[in-house]
Amino acid sequence: MSDFEPKIVAFFCNWCTYGAADLAGVSRLDYPPNFRVVRLPCTGRLNPKFIMEAFKRGADGVWISGCHPGDCHYIAGNYHARRKFVLMHQLLESIGVEPNRLRFSWISSAEANKFQAMARDVVENVKACGPNTTFRKEDLKLGLAEVA
Amino acid sequence: MPEYIVKESALTEFFKSLATGRRLLTPQGAGDKCKLEETGPDKVRFDYSNTHMSPKQLFFPQNENLMSFHNDASKSDPFVYKDLGDKANPAVIFGIRPCDAKGLSISNRVFQNDRFVDPYWKGKFDKTIKVGLACASPSPQCFCAAMGGSPYGEAGLDVLAFRVGSDLGLKTITPAGEELIKQTAASQADLAGELKNQEAAAVKSQGVGTDLKPIDDKDLMVLFQDPHWTATAENCLNCGVCTFFCPTCHCFDIQDEQSEKGGIRMRNWDTCMSWLFTVHGTGHNPRPSKTERVRQRFMHKLKYIPLKQDGTRGCTGCGRCVVMCPVNIDIREVALKMCQPQAPSQA
Amino acid sequence: MPALSDITSKIRESAKKLLADGRAEVVIGYRQGTVPLTTSPFFARSAADCDQLVWSNFSRINLANYLPGRPGKVALVAKGCDARSAIGQVTENQILKDNLYIIGVPCTGMIDTNLVVAKETRPIKEVVESTDDAITVKGEGFSTDIKKTDVLRRNCQTCANRTPKLADELIGAETPGAAPDDFSDIKALLAKTPAERMAYFKDLIKDCLRCYACRNACPLCYCPICFVDETRPQWLGKSNDPMDTLTFHLLRGLHCSGRCTSCGACETACPVNIKVREFNRVTELTVQNNWNYEAGLNWDQKPPLTMFQTDDPADFIK
Repeated sequence: MSDFEPKIVAFFCNWCTYGAADLAGVSRLDYPPNFRVVRLPCTGRLNPKFIMEAFKRGADGVWISGCHPGDCHYIAGNYHARRKFVLMHQLLESIGVEPNRLRFSWISSAEANKFQAMARDVVENVKACGPNTTFRKEDLKLGLAEVA
Repeated sequence: MPEYIVKESALTEFFKSLATGRRLLTPQGAGDKCKLEETGPDKVRFDYSNTHMSPKQLFFPQNENLMSFHNDASKSDPFVYKDLGDKANPAVIFGIRPCDAKGLSISNRVFQNDRFVDPYWKGKFDKTIKVGLACASPSPQCFCAAMGGSPYGEAGLDVLAFRVGSDLGLKTITPAGEELIKQTAASQADLAGELKNQEAAAVKSQGVGTDLKPIDDKDLMVLFQDPHWTATAENCLNCGVCTFFCPTCHCFDIQDEQSEKGGIRMRNWDTCMSWLFTVHGTGHNPRPSKTERVRQRFMHKLKYIPLKQDGTRGCTGCGRCVVMCPVNIDIREVALKMCQPQAPSQA
Repeated sequence: MPALSDITSKIRESAKKLLADGRAEVVIGYRQGTVPLTTSPFFARSAADCDQLVWSNFSRINLANYLPGRPGKVALVAKGCDARSAIGQVTENQILKDNLYIIGVPCTGMIDTNLVVAKETRPIKEVVESTDDAITVKGEGFSTDIKKTDVLRRNCQTCANRTPKLADELIGAETPGAAPDDFSDIKALLAKTPAERMAYFKDLIKDCLRCYACRNACPLCYCPICFVDETRPQWLGKSNDPMDTLTFHLLRGLHCSGRCTSCGACETACPVNIKVREFNRVTELTVQNNWNYEAGLNWDQKPPLTMFQTDDPADFIK
């Protein structure tokens, strides 16, 4: 399991965590490259469908990060998002997605060090969960061998 | 064709011989969730009014892969769709009810006719011998006789089985059926009179159905434009339960799905109750509200199919939609409304 | 126990009066079903129509489902849960409060047909029901009495709001609510391992046909285009792939969170008896724990996902 490199889909708010990732980059703070970032205008834009789609298509983990409560560029986007996060987090955990596969954080654009630490933590925890085998769409059964 | 009889004590042996060289599917399962499944010849169930879902899914599964491709450039024919063809094995189904068999024969004319043959349906349908089980005591939900069928109907069947006391009577209908029964130890017997009496009693127990001839006589456009459809559709939820359970509903949707290694073209059941069924690429929808969609379903069953199939109604009276419908829309009531003389025009 | 015929005649009387006074253009109620063990939603627009309205132990489908976007004045025959759904729709601006008149019927729970059929396996030809606490089912050579408490729907067994207290009028006396859902089975499930929970929910939906009867019977599902029908992009495959099916049920649960009144219409409509409400119950438990909210209990409370508190708890967000 040690050489398992997870694929993680990260949804970052444009105004904070995305900036933090940039800052971490220009500050030469290294962090594991296991996640692919989708930039959102605000975590309030995050539709639960996005999380499902990521897992369904084989993501081993999903990481969602936005502005600290009170710091939303759109005043209240992340307050609304926070309630949705509670529901998504609870629902997915209840139906049997390991809690460490779905992570949420608040990281401002100045917190490059927090970003680095969080990125390492997320990747480490998803690694510990192992590959996502249960909450993903199975590979299509092409059935070509039978007709060849 | 002649009749045969199998004694109760020889039933297991009889089913074993049916299963020789073929798959045998028989009624299985508990309570009202009976289904036709492959299993041991000693576990055949007789105490069911009908299978929970219609047997159409044995020939026309809800999801069926038609063709697929791989994207491995190092192998031959990457990105080329290959027909997955017909992998069906010969089978015999015991226990189809006559209403469902008639439904299969109606769908068969859709999937196999002089203009078009669907290879996926044909492969399964033509390799399957259908042994029906007559309904001596039709369930309260049934109205096959009212739709021009019979609890002892033979349409779509190769053999019709019926209970004679605790023995099993068999009437062969097609040469394939005759050949099948000859391979078993069933002995020939004269049961024509018995069969006739049983059928008369069963039809009588269903009561007199409404005469639906006015629908046949009415002009299609008159039926189509009748104002009752708005009220008829008013309580419809537009779910797809009626179409999924109907033995003659056969509409499907073709979908492509891809994964990392290749892709599949599949067909899935679709339902005319759905908004998505008719929406165009432009966004225009010729059936924009549930009124049009409900009208389509009943017109299809009671007018379009009879027009295309020499008067055979597209409803076989199995009663599944009536019982399963969450809001109890009853095709018999709709048919009655369609029979009503048209109200004088408002204009 | 009140006689059903009394309730029926009071509903008819009220419906006629509402139509005559112009308080409503249509009264949405139930009429007798064409087969045993069912009723059918019915739209009464004239005094003659009103005589078809009935009240039965099978008045299950949530009639609030027919309200969203309906123009004109409408009266609704409603149980406790249906009235809550209608009130929820008013708070969600799906129907004007002034256009809605709720004929509330204090309810004692509705019967689950599947439980009746499990108790009496012979073909049932007729149901006799005179009071709201028992039925008699009859068929070829049998007549079986069944107590309603033995065959209540799951959601009715734990309904604390059987009387539609906010209705414009009540037909008959208030009925006591049952002990509310304690979610003990959900809580027990949450104590299991993730793998066990996943297995439980996958097994729950293994028979799903994707007919969407649960969605269409639901008074909360009024989106013009449901996410399962979206094509640009297409979020869900159309086959019965277990993951696509699970995604549908999960998102349906999320969309209904904080709005579900446990009316059970989804489970009643399901043709393959899936306990689809399990997903809603998980989200309802979350909503109650976090925001102490239950839908449809007053006219001006805002659904929990349309509002926030600056100090909402969310310890899992680091």
